[in-house]
This record gives sequence, C-alpha cells and structure tokens, in this order.
Amino acid sequence: MRIGYAAALAASMSVMSANFADARPISYPGGWTLMQKNNSDFSSVHVHYSPTFQDSLGLYSERNWTQDWHFTGVQYNRLVKRWNEKNAQANLYLKTGIGQGDPFGDGDIELAGFLGIAADWETRRWFTSYEGRAYDLTFDQSVRHAARIGVAPYLGDYGDLHTWLMLQVENQPERETPTTLTPLVRLFYDVQMLEIGYTPETERFMANWIVRF
Amino acid sequence: MTNIKTLICAATMSLALPQGIAQTDQARTEKTKSEPLTVNVKGMVCDFCARAVSKVFGKNDAVDLVHVDLDNGEIHVDLKPGTNLTDEEIESLVKKSGYAMVSVEREIF
Repeated sequence: MRIGYAAALAASMSVMSANFADARPISYPGGWTLMQKNNSDFSSVHVHYSPTFQDSLGLYSERNWTQDWHFTGVQYNRLVKRWNEKNAQANLYLKTGIGQGDPFGDGDIELAGFLGIAADWETRRWFTSYEGRAYDLTFDQSVRHAARIGVAPYLGDYGDLHTWLMLQVENQPERETPTTLTPLVRLFYDVQMLEIGYTPETERFMANWIVRF
Repeated sequence: MTNIKTLICAATMSLALPQGIAQTDQARTEKTKSEPLTVNVKGMVCDFCARAVSKVFGKNDAVDLVHVDLDNGEIHVDLKPGTNLTDEEIESLVKKSGYAMVSVEREIF
C-alpha cells in the first residue's frame, strides 16, 4: 500500500508542477550532469558534458504537456561571464538548442530550436536567479520566464546536507494561468540536488532532480 | 706527534659527525614531508564549487589531498613528497575550476 502510494505520488509529481528555473547548467571540467525536471507544463531530461567550466554540450528532450509537443535535440550552454566576489558569485549563461519538434499528429515533425538566457547571484545565505527561454518549433512559438529568490536557513560546510527555501515566480503568456508562484525546498547533498515545490494557482507539485558525476 | 694529530682528527670528526647526520636527516625529512598550502579563493560559495575545486586539484600529479573550507573560502592542499606547485600553477588550477585566487600561504617547517 505504501509502495503504491509512493509510486502514485512519484507519478503525479513527474507529470505535474510548475517550475523550470535551472541550477547551474555547466559542471566542472570533465564532469557529466543529468537534470530531470517535471512540472505542470512539461517534463524534461538534459544530459550534458562539460569540457571546461564555461561550456557544456549535451542532449535535451522535453515533453510539453500544455502545448502538446515533444522537442528532442542537442543543447549547448555557455557561461558568458562569471563574477567571483569574496563571499558571492554571479553568473550569466546563454543556452541554445536545436533539434526536432513533434506536434503529435497535428502536423509533421519540424526543425525546432530554442534560445535562452539565465543569470544568478548567490552567497552562502542568499540566492536569486532569472531565466528566460524562447522556443520556435515552426508549428508553435512560445516564451517563458522564471525568477527565484532563496535563503539557506543554516550554513553547512562542504559535504553537509544543504537546504534552501525558495520562492519562484513564473510567467508564460500563453498559459491559462500566465503567472504563478511556487514555494519550494531545495535539498543539496553530495552530488545530488532535489527540489520539491507546490504551485497553489494550478494545484500542482513540482519535482526536479540533478546529479553530477 | 702522530698521536696528537690522531687525537685532533678524532676530536674534529666527533664534533662534525652529529651535525652531518643532522643535516642528512633534515634533508630527508624535507624530501619526504608533504607541503601544506592554503589557497584563498573568491567566488566559492556552494558544494558544487567545492566539488569542482576538489576534482581539478585532485587530478594534478603533485596533489596528495584537497580539503575545501567554504566558511573561510579556503582550499587546503597537501602536496606529494618531493613535489611542488608554483603560485602560477595554483592560480591556473583555481581559474580552471572557475574561481579567482586571492593568495597562497605556504606552511614553512
């Protein structure tokens, strides 16, 4: 019964929720990253390799539930600029993807792509970020924005469990509820990061998981 | 006369020998002892940052152990015996990790 409940909860979380602001899309030189995200609008998988701390190249697949399409392609992320301060770090990223978009029977598979920009500023206590992304799938064009603010209730050292309490505001003009607020918890331990949140406007959960190896 | 020469020679050797042994021991100790470094870094604010630094430094042949102190923004590095890293090499490793070096402190024995 417990397993059934857990499976149902996991399944629900995998297809619901409202979140897409990324954690850092580039790893250390020679590092691999797996990012798996689920929200009310889409589910996605992004696997990438970072040859340097400024670049990552990988595969991206997104099943968009609200607009009913599937994108599969290659994604390149570039750290355009990093500001290293004594107790803070800020980053500006560019994200691009090219591949194919499948409208699921409403038309042919078409060449598709997206362009995104992301920025963040972080200390050990505070976190803010913004990401905007525009899609062109020939049969559909869309844009979405998300911004976050977060606070760490305690400061752990390297190797400890790190916890962040965050609030995300997201905007997608084409959506039935264009703007949503999602409180979430980010748990960060060893090479894994898990985010769980809930969006009252849509009554959906969100769940993101990232692992670096 | 020969006996006096022998005595002087023996006395000289008895004074010189312990110092010679001590110098040899010191040189051997310096050769086998790892040199701890403390690298002060800007921008290192999270576990992913610490992991990046540990991975990049850990791949260097001269590095024995790496410990990251996020509270103080420091990387503590133990070098392998008989190896060394210049300040320029350390700065290059910090940059390769994605961060900015402020200073290097070397522990002198």
